[in-house]
Amino acid sequence: MSTPQGVVVFLLAATAALALGACARHGDPPAPSATSASPAAAATTERVVGPLTTADAQALAGMNDRLRDYIDLHMKLERSLPDLPKEATPEQIDRHQRAFEKLVRAARATAKQGDIFTPEARPVIMRLLATIFSGPDGQQLKSSIRDENPVDPVALRLTVNGRYPDTVPLATVPPQVLQTLPKLTENLEYRFIGDWLILLDTDAHVIADLIDNALPQ
Amino acid sequence: MRPRHLSVIVLLSLVMVTGIGFRDGLTDGTTRLEARQSPAVPVVPLPNREGSLKFGVLGDFGTGKRAQYQLAEQMVTLHGWFRYDLVVLVGDNLYGSQRPQDFKKKFELPYKPLLDAGVMFYASLGNHDAREQRFYKLFNMGGKLYYTFNPSPDVRFFMLESSYPSPEQIEWLEAELKASSSNWKIAVFHHPLYSSGDRHGSDRRLRDVLEPLFVQYNVSVVLTGHDHFYERVKPQHGIAYFVVGSGGELRVGNIDRKSGLTAKGFDTDQAFMAAEISGDEMHFVAISRRGQTVDSGVLLRRQPTP
Repeated sequence: MSTPQGVVVFLLAATAALALGACARHGDPPAPSATSASPAAAATTERVVGPLTTADAQALAGMNDRLRDYIDLHMKLERSLPDLPKEATPEQIDRHQRAFEKLVRAARATAKQGDIFTPEARPVIMRLLATIFSGPDGQQLKSSIRDENPVDPVALRLTVNGRYPDTVPLATVPPQVLQTLPKLTENLEYRFIGDWLILLDTDAHVIADLIDNALPQ
Repeated sequence: MRPRHLSVIVLLSLVMVTGIGFRDGLTDGTTRLEARQSPAVPVVPLPNREGSLKFGVLGDFGTGKRAQYQLAEQMVTLHGWFRYDLVVLVGDNLYGSQRPQDFKKKFELPYKPLLDAGVMFYASLGNHDAREQRFYKLFNMGGKLYYTFNPSPDVRFFMLESSYPSPEQIEWLEAELKASSSNWKIAVFHHPLYSSGDRHGSDRRLRDVLEPLFVQYNVSVVLTGHDHFYERVKPQHGIAYFVVGSGGELRVGNIDRKSGLTAKGFDTDQAFMAAEISGDEMHFVAISRRGQTVDSGVLLRRQPTP
């Protein structure tokens, strides 16, 4: 699973991305508009959606702080469990996963929506998604997400700090979305359930935070 | 053995020895056995050469239902004659619940004869698979969501996680492809870049990102699943694409025959694929739950551009 070095790399990358954003706002040529070009040409948020405003960059920096706090907690809890071998039995995997879920949910018993997708970051995330999904490929992108995940998140009663429903397959997240949203460490993933964007702790199977109605209509 | 069966076998043996009929290009290199075959003596157009790399391909299989078990029996039958060393899994390894008992019912029991015979399974993950499957010993993922391995000096598999194609994974893939000197580069993942499926079809967004790398770094074969049928796609930019999403699940009649993509499709029963790489050739077959060879052929590896 994750390592302290991994977190450091993540934080450095996040800081660098924000720093690059600041540079781009001071005289660099404007970034190209939304594109689905090769990864080399579309590596950062700004390459996909254009320069961020100072306020947007600050909002995402605030979200990154919350992410760092979450990862610190995740790793602390993980260290309290026996190591899961890389060649494990189903029983070891199941035991580890259930124990981890229990620890995370207990440690974040008072967690609520907006703890990580902060009120400041939420509109920025939604604008980033709107930019992607209003591009030339937007309709197809939305269709591909909904195609795999035609569920109603309200009916599923999704909650922050709740378990990801075992019966719901993971909808594919288009690479263009992952090139745009702030980077995460390996044990956190952005996923869509219906039109909702969730932040999924993949080791604990717990929804760390969510944005309802994140996909533009 | 009745004379009609014997004649089919003799004819096929001649074809296999001479290679005639299997070397006429990717799109047309197909034959089909209409005769019923005894499960005990599979007749499949594979050279079965000593020293070649022999492997199976299986996808969308982990239902735990009767059809999965029946197809698994065909895999075991084939292995009795064609001793493949490994099976690559294109994802959706376990449907529904993924508790310890499910690993047994949906994987360990149906493929027990193969596991007992030492066949190694190398998994990629599909959209139904929990991420912790990467720690499951019998999936040989080493705790990684994406990884690479080379079962022979000439062949390297690139096992990807296509439901979450993060920039880090794409960068990793490019670095690995660039560094690999294997003649055969084979990519394995769940979501098809090309598919005639009515249900899902081609994942164009993923294609935008992966295909340029496959073309640039000389990938010869791409093995995928997700759509619940078998399809050999017409070569795209010189690359052979297969959809092998019929290992347990099945969507009867789901291949859109008007897609213009299909070289050979089979959507009326479960099927798996077996292949053999020897030198510059890869022979392949697709075998149904009833033991019929529903597709076969040979393709040549891509040559590096000067």
